[in-house]
Amino acid sequence: MTIERLEVAGTPVVVERDPRIPLVSMSFMFRTGGASDPQGKDGLLRLMLRGLRRGSGGRDALAFEAAVDALGGEMSAEVFTSSCGVHAQVISRNLEPFMELVGQMLGDPRFPEEDVRRLRQESIAEIVDARDSDRELANLALRRGLFGAHPFGRLAAGRVSTLEKLGRGDLVAAHQAHVRAANMVVGFAGDITAEVAARITEKLIAGLPAGPAPESALPEPVQAKGRRLFFVDKPERSQTQVLVGRLGTHARDVDHFPLVVANAAFGGTFTARLMREVRSKRGWSYGAYARLALERARHSFSMWTFPAAESAAECLALELELLGAFYKEGITEKERSFFGKYLSRSFAFDIDTAQKRIGQALDVDTLDLPADFYSSYRAHLDAVTREQANEAVRARLSPDDLVIAVVGTQATLLDAVQKAIPDLAETTIVPFDAD
Amino acid sequence: MTQPMATPSTSAPSAPAEWVHLTSIPFAGGTVERYRLPNGLLVLLHEDHSAPVVTYHTWFRVGSRHEKPGKTGLAHLFEHLMFNETEGLKAGEFDKKLEENGAESNAATWVDWTYYYESLPKERLDLAIKLESERMSRLVLREPQVASEKDVVANERRYRVDDDVEGAASEVLYKTAFTVHPYHWPTIGWMEDILAFTPEDCLNFYRTFYAPNNAVVVVCGDVRAKAVLGKIAKAYAHIPASHIPPEDIQPEPPQREPREVTLKKPTTSAKVYVAFRGPAFGDVDHATLTVLNEILFGGRASRAHRILVSEKEMATDIRGWVSTFTHPGLYEMNVTARPPHGAEELERELYAIVEAVKAEVVTQEELDRAKARLELSLLQSLDTAGGKAEQMGFYETMLGDPAGAFRRLEAYQRVTVGEIRTAARRYLQTESRSVVRVLPEEEGPDADADGASDAAEGEVAE
Repeated sequence: MTIERLEVAGTPVVVERDPRIPLVSMSFMFRTGGASDPQGKDGLLRLMLRGLRRGSGGRDALAFEAAVDALGGEMSAEVFTSSCGVHAQVISRNLEPFMELVGQMLGDPRFPEEDVRRLRQESIAEIVDARDSDRELANLALRRGLFGAHPFGRLAAGRVSTLEKLGRGDLVAAHQAHVRAANMVVGFAGDITAEVAARITEKLIAGLPAGPAPESALPEPVQAKGRRLFFVDKPERSQTQVLVGRLGTHARDVDHFPLVVANAAFGGTFTARLMREVRSKRGWSYGAYARLALERARHSFSMWTFPAAESAAECLALELELLGAFYKEGITEKERSFFGKYLSRSFAFDIDTAQKRIGQALDVDTLDLPADFYSSYRAHLDAVTREQANEAVRARLSPDDLVIAVVGTQATLLDAVQKAIPDLAETTIVPFDAD
Repeated sequence: MTQPMATPSTSAPSAPAEWVHLTSIPFAGGTVERYRLPNGLLVLLHEDHSAPVVTYHTWFRVGSRHEKPGKTGLAHLFEHLMFNETEGLKAGEFDKKLEENGAESNAATWVDWTYYYESLPKERLDLAIKLESERMSRLVLREPQVASEKDVVANERRYRVDDDVEGAASEVLYKTAFTVHPYHWPTIGWMEDILAFTPEDCLNFYRTFYAPNNAVVVVCGDVRAKAVLGKIAKAYAHIPASHIPPEDIQPEPPQREPREVTLKKPTTSAKVYVAFRGPAFGDVDHATLTVLNEILFGGRASRAHRILVSEKEMATDIRGWVSTFTHPGLYEMNVTARPPHGAEELERELYAIVEAVKAEVVTQEELDRAKARLELSLLQSLDTAGGKAEQMGFYETMLGDPAGAFRRLEAYQRVTVGEIRTAARRYLQTESRSVVRVLPEEEGPDADADGASDAAEGEVAE
């Protein structure tokens, strides 16, 4: 369980060897994400990363995929709000030829016109398909409500209207700007030594576009005032997705860990307040959780339930009451002790594989977390007092300023939902198939 | 990574006297030791000292296949009730104790089995043994708990089925393809059955199926076998075995005509769910069809992806799955259309792909790629103690072989292009096909406001 930290041509590389299973996992992460897409070009970074697989090193898209499969390899690209990257795994006996493919893909993608067109159409079709998911619709409504024109309001997957305008030139430019060694951190886990990792990383870096890291600083989002409802209107909903959110903390904030403990007591586990009141006592919603998102700038606190349509208004009213009481009274000493222990002890499962430990090491870099964020995670939690937890709740989670995202059928539900929200400042109706 | 077959062990860790050591089988660089208590409880132990954690699985050989019409969903509701009150623990205490100790815990129910697991820091294993043995024999089933949990499950059903296009279509597909066999009904149960359960229903189910002789306990992680066996014996040895009634199931008769159902849903793209009658998981053809499925649907270089998504741009999502059930199940093929392409057009293309593998053998390159992908998939599943425990528990419950995953991998490696074509001809027959088409509500001549609810009843046209 030893992570080795190297620097290869200026790029941080973390490696943890674990030869028990003949598999090598690797991540090439970049410090820019969906929030770095230019205004009006939502989805560019994701389209570019997906386009990397559409031909490189003399292979067309199909030949590339076939070559990856034949080696017992797998690749995926991910674009988060403030970082992005490529993850790959391969059976270790095929590591060397597989790295040739990875190197060609990252350094020499062709982005053929025809493939870019197909990819764009595929991405648009997937966005349309995603409208089948009420949960996804609620997430989108919450993000738009919370962040508006802030880069966090941009959608990493893009919108139909923004994707339609993207062409090959945009992808080439995005590749040249983002896939640079200066913007990258690399992690290896599994059946690989540090020496081999360093050698193959060095070769890979030599083939990447040169230049300094692109701008990745993010402005602090601003909390809008009042309680604002974003009602996503979709026909025939027998169940209602409800998200209630506001801004949370960043890991650098001194009250981050206190808020983590308080949030766990409020809605972080199966026995937390939300689940107890909403599911255990009333059977209203299969799930009832609260979470804090971690990004490079302050992001969100949110709570999530999905009651039957007939109990949605009551459930929402109860959630707002619970949040009000949480804000006013905070958590008890018993709760602090209980949930502090839960978080501290269950951390064992965040670090039980080499791959997870390497993932954390990369997050520290890409999300600008304090260097000891994970290495002293348990100590941070154990040090939280009840007073600190409750101060954090009072400083961060005022129930007066909230975004409430509801996916339901307007004709039968909107009225009841509006009445369930005391001091509702404004309502925005969003058609479920809106851009 | 290949595994030699099981050998009788002479070097197994010494176990307390009440245990019978059955076999020692190579597994993922170590061994899995199989033990049995006199009351029938089977225990699988795999030591893995790579992280200071342990996973404790309890598999019961009961799922929705063991239910009766009118009582569908009982196995799943029961899974929920198992987190409630016991004679020694008040309602809510079970989860509290686990959380306080940093444990992860959950459960799953399917047609053939139900399992429960706890993953804990290694020094807290005693808690899992105590809680699992407690709820295997001392669960309290009273009206308030049953009533509240019925509501939760009804909400789960709305979430996973009623308001979910894929969930609803899958339910109708199995309802259509099976007429007498219990795979006809969904594991979550019909809504009217869920809402009608009584505490007595639950108690009868519990007394019959939740017993040591119907269970497999899997312990995987940073533990020492001898100490664990002593603790398990102490906690479970007194629990009596139950009489498991002989299975009373009608096999599904052969299907002579294709069946189809059309649903209207508030969705923006058409979807097609095609299923052919497939083999049981233990059938030799299952491995062959799994390899074929990988050739057709596994990854972007697969045939269906290449033709439907890349070349013809008719589909956004394609998936295939050979059901891993004890009794013969289905070979499912699911495709989501990319507008303006519609369901019928997509079906035609899909059937052409199916006919092609019946007419001509697949290429050796396609076969080799599929085998490499299946090997990778197995290795990925062994990353955590929980992943290993799941593999051992699943294969023990289904096939009586905790290292069955490695045997499957060997079977995949032996599959030939000729065997694939024979299996395709045997199973991918038009007369044994069931199809569920999901159309956007505004599409089609007979669309109206009630279309979805009418169609959701699943009229079967033969």
